[in-house]
Amino acid sequence: MSRHRHAFNRRELLVRLGVSAAALPFVTNLPGVARAAGSPATAGRKRRMVIFFTPNGIVPKDFWPDAEGPLDKLKACLEPLTPFRDQILTLHGVCDKVRGDGDAHMRGMGCLLTGVELFPGNIQGGSDTPAGWAKGHSIDQEIKNHLQKDPSTRTRFGSLEFGVMVPERADTWTRMVYTGANKPVAPVDNPYQMFNKLYGQAKDRAAVASVLDGVSKDLKTLSGKLGSEDRRLLQEHAELVREMEKEIREQQAVEGGKAGHPVPQLEPGVRADNDQMPKLSRMQIDLMVASMMADFARVFSFQYTNSVGMARMRWLGITEGHHELSHEPDSNTGAMDKLVKINNWFSGEIAYFLKRLKETPEPGGPGSLLDNTLVVWTNELGKGSSHTLDDIPFVLMGGGLDFKMGRALKYKKVPHNRLMMALAHGFGNEVKSFGNPNFCGDGPLTGLRG
Amino acid sequence: MLPSRAAWLLTVVSLACFSNLVRSQAPLPSGEALYAKQCASCHGKGGEGTKRHPKPLAGDRSLAQLTKLIQETMPEGQPGSLSAGEAQAVSEHVYHSYYSPLARERNAPPRVDVVRLTVPQFRNAVADIVAGFRGYPGWSSERGLKGEYFKSRNYRKEDRVLERVDPVIDFDWGTAPPAQGIDAKQFAVRHRGSIRPPVTGEYQFVVRTEHATRLFVNDTKKPVIDAWVKSGADTEYTGTVFLVGGRIYPIRLEMSKAKQGVDDSDKKEQKAKPAAPAMLHLEWVPPRGTRQVVPDHCLATNGSPEQLALGTPFPPDDRSLGWERGSSISKAWYQAVIQSTVEVSAWVRERVDEMAGTKPDAGDRKAKLRAFCKSFAERAWRRPLEPSEEKFLLDTVYGSQPDPEVGVQRLVLATLQSPAFLYQCVGNTEGPRAVAERLAWTLWDSIPDNELVKAAAENRLGSPDQIRKQAERMLADPRGQAKLMGFFRHWLRLDQASDLAKDTKHFPDFNAELASSLRQSLELQVQEIVLGPKPDFRRLLTEDLILVDDRMAAFYGAALPPAQGFNPAPLDAGQRAGVLTHPYMLAALAYNAETSPIHRGVFIAKSLLGVAMRPPEAVAPLAPDLHPSLSNRERVILQTQPTACSTCHAIINPLGFALEGFDAVGKPRTSDRGKPIFTAGEYLTRDGKAVAFPGPRELGSFLAQSPEAHDAFIQHLFHHLVQQPERAFGRSVPDELRTAFQSDLFDIRKLAAAIATRTAPATRQVATNPANSERKSP
Repeated sequence: MSRHRHAFNRRELLVRLGVSAAALPFVTNLPGVARAAGSPATAGRKRRMVIFFTPNGIVPKDFWPDAEGPLDKLKACLEPLTPFRDQILTLHGVCDKVRGDGDAHMRGMGCLLTGVELFPGNIQGGSDTPAGWAKGHSIDQEIKNHLQKDPSTRTRFGSLEFGVMVPERADTWTRMVYTGANKPVAPVDNPYQMFNKLYGQAKDRAAVASVLDGVSKDLKTLSGKLGSEDRRLLQEHAELVREMEKEIREQQAVEGGKAGHPVPQLEPGVRADNDQMPKLSRMQIDLMVASMMADFARVFSFQYTNSVGMARMRWLGITEGHHELSHEPDSNTGAMDKLVKINNWFSGEIAYFLKRLKETPEPGGPGSLLDNTLVVWTNELGKGSSHTLDDIPFVLMGGGLDFKMGRALKYKKVPHNRLMMALAHGFGNEVKSFGNPNFCGDGPLTGLRG
Repeated sequence: MLPSRAAWLLTVVSLACFSNLVRSQAPLPSGEALYAKQCASCHGKGGEGTKRHPKPLAGDRSLAQLTKLIQETMPEGQPGSLSAGEAQAVSEHVYHSYYSPLARERNAPPRVDVVRLTVPQFRNAVADIVAGFRGYPGWSSERGLKGEYFKSRNYRKEDRVLERVDPVIDFDWGTAPPAQGIDAKQFAVRHRGSIRPPVTGEYQFVVRTEHATRLFVNDTKKPVIDAWVKSGADTEYTGTVFLVGGRIYPIRLEMSKAKQGVDDSDKKEQKAKPAAPAMLHLEWVPPRGTRQVVPDHCLATNGSPEQLALGTPFPPDDRSLGWERGSSISKAWYQAVIQSTVEVSAWVRERVDEMAGTKPDAGDRKAKLRAFCKSFAERAWRRPLEPSEEKFLLDTVYGSQPDPEVGVQRLVLATLQSPAFLYQCVGNTEGPRAVAERLAWTLWDSIPDNELVKAAAENRLGSPDQIRKQAERMLADPRGQAKLMGFFRHWLRLDQASDLAKDTKHFPDFNAELASSLRQSLELQVQEIVLGPKPDFRRLLTEDLILVDDRMAAFYGAALPPAQGFNPAPLDAGQRAGVLTHPYMLAALAYNAETSPIHRGVFIAKSLLGVAMRPPEAVAPLAPDLHPSLSNRERVILQTQPTACSTCHAIINPLGFALEGFDAVGKPRTSDRGKPIFTAGEYLTRDGKAVAFPGPRELGSFLAQSPEAHDAFIQHLFHHLVQQPERAFGRSVPDELRTAFQSDLFDIRKLAAAIATRTAPATRQVATNPANSERKSP
């Protein structure tokens, strides 16, 4: 990577937030921050949703439970999630039926959360016609918009898009979140950048506060060297410095009282490097948990690499890239074992996340974060070697939408648009359709609540 | 005829100040006589006090309050002996001559004030601190961008079939290939070079193409437009970037007519398809401007390093004296400073390894970053650090942070918020470093560059010759050019937010695009004189040719220019006389349908001849419909007949009448409402000579030769460059500069160098030393 990417670009952040520097006074919060964590829970409990993405399909026989009904033993791909068995709902038979331009990886990614076709474009995949971006917004953004409309569910960011080792390349394979047609959102895969997005303002204030004392001294020294007429400007200046000190102190007192959670400490200097993926994954998960505690957002997405992701999981003893392995036929048992290991590692990361959620009490309410969060783990393909968009992996976890967990469900090739609708309905956003309406005729997916 | 012969020395724009001067010289303030007779023995001749009554006559009572006080308490021993009228007269005299804050300010000797950096200085200084580490950009003589044409979809060197300079990027290739040896079905084009925005602000860039494209402006890694993924039917992409006027930024435009992702162009079915059409246009919407192809005069073929373009908005600087100066601070300013330093610190932090010449995992990183910090602070403060400062900044601010990047960030905050950065010349009050610093503010609105720092360290800034050599070098630098052009933009009011909208009934073809062309034409015309080989002041007022583009040629009926962009052409044979008759000026100094001899006359009198005037009475212009039989000239005369008006209008109107041969959009005309136009004008010079001019050419020649115009020009330029009162540098400065200007044959750049050379060695102590202070007699 040519640029050391640890720091973030402030202007970029401001643009991302839709605020220009002009509109952002240094002292005083962003809209919504002031009432972030300590806001009274008005309309019932908080509900959150997290969408985890991992690429290249799965190994069906080592992923899906054999039969419908209560979950007992989890297969090898899901094995690390065993402690949360009663919090898991697997949905087999949900299919991405969206067709049109683009190869399966592209549509798998671009239509996964949007449920709508890609525009014709210039991005050529390994087969099929070239395509561009998706024609509509993604379900997480739909739910975010719904929550942001209501002051009682509005948060500072609304949604946060995390990533781990997402290539610095904007194309149909690397973007799954869309705010609208042709409007993909880049996930933030740099934990330091994400940290600054979350805490940058407070950190900046602390940094400014730390230098003001020295500035006051400099002004005093300089004043002493000047005649009385020239001193006036410096005296006014010194007065402004004192005011700023006071304002920052007051601001920090307010924030300290509201945040109510420790700001996470990141290990410095972890670089965006394939072999650092395990570390980056945990840093990002910790930041996501902290964001929930601070109620920075209610909707999250978490994207590992990209569609056709090439991670080389050397820490598992696997030297081949994930995507090339995923093309191997079932008969290549060595490759299958590695793919199982890879998915097992991903579910281990999700298990870590669930553990953190379970251990963290819901701020201002009963239960844990896990009780109020729905986690959706998905993938752009049903299976890597066939590139099928049938039986897309959908594993639901946690109590956020009151689905009946601890079960394996099997559907008969239902369009995934209906699942998207069910997610929206779970947030009280009763959409009549989502994405391409032709796939929404039968309404939100049924059976989730038991 | 002139209200005051002495007044011409004053800066003219401070009208409030001037009106007092006028008043104090109005006929008979019997108050003055009364004061001399009854008050001076105790209060002193000039209100300065005497031994018995040492308190000077100064205070903040209003005129009415002061009058009451005098009436009730004065003179000593006989209070109440003055009649109401006498008390009023004495009070007025005292108030306007010594007592009021305004009078006191006027009477104070001019001095070099301590000033903070102006907003442009702040923006330039942070950019140049950074440029000191990454290199200063240059500006090649080749206008346009370097275009490379590739026969593949990528930029592989072996596929490059053509390299050439494209003055503008404005291509419609259709289904044809852009160059020989290229297959129209699949190719890639890349344009690289530098861009120099004329003014500071947000620039919206527009790229139009049917194919994959990316545009990088300044930031060489993050595109301002990224349409590499072609999606849907869009062929127009926009992106906005903040740029500082006059500075030079890298620009790169990429375009690829090909499918991206997997390359299947070798497949048979692909080869059989016909070529799709291709275009490539690079346009922009400058601040207050209209959308247009990015013009060649803003482009250069050389590469340049990425710059820090500070975008934090600031409140405007004080301009009450007619020039920008950092004479006041406010909370809004201070908050902008804080916000800016945060912006700069984040920018630096993100690039610090590259600037410090190290890498994230290098063993000597901490040491390299420490050296970077020291160098950063010394550039920002324009001097070496004292040992105690070094200890504080490097050991405490930087060194105490476990994460060196946080340390760098805090060091940037600490150095840029310090008065050592924010105020001019407070760390360097005398000696070669002070000379270097003052030269840099004067000629660049920025900090000294590496060469100036070196010259100061080697003691090469001692003699006027050495200083002048530096000044000449600096004026040839893009920053010097930017500062000079900034002056002309101000002087010709190109920086004022005038949209030049004209009455659509009278001038249906006059639109925003034409107005934008006019503005550019004038800027370029001035630029070619001022920055060109013959920067003679007189040419500004006498050149007959106007720079004309297609739009102007069509509107003004000139021959179509032979080449793209702006070309010199006679608009109407032998009628034009430099900037005064440039259609931009004529249109700007006019109403939307009618001409305004008054606006034109005021501009000539104030800006060109330096005549001071008090603000006009608030009178609405006579509506033309009320006097349909009168020409504009006749109506203006009628309106300004009252004595209250005619003192000034006797000067203004005859100057403005000389331009009546041009209508409200600057087109020539011979009649107005059916009456023939008279362009005869006149002016009474300060030495009492009546000058008559039959028309604009003679007016232009008169102004070009007029010592009054020279003095006014010198003074305007001085204030724009130095941002301090001219006479704070010594009573003789105006004379010295006038002599130099004459002997240099009115060379504008030599004048700027002379001003810088004259003022750079001065110290602030000069002005506070009583031997140099001057007291203007009231």
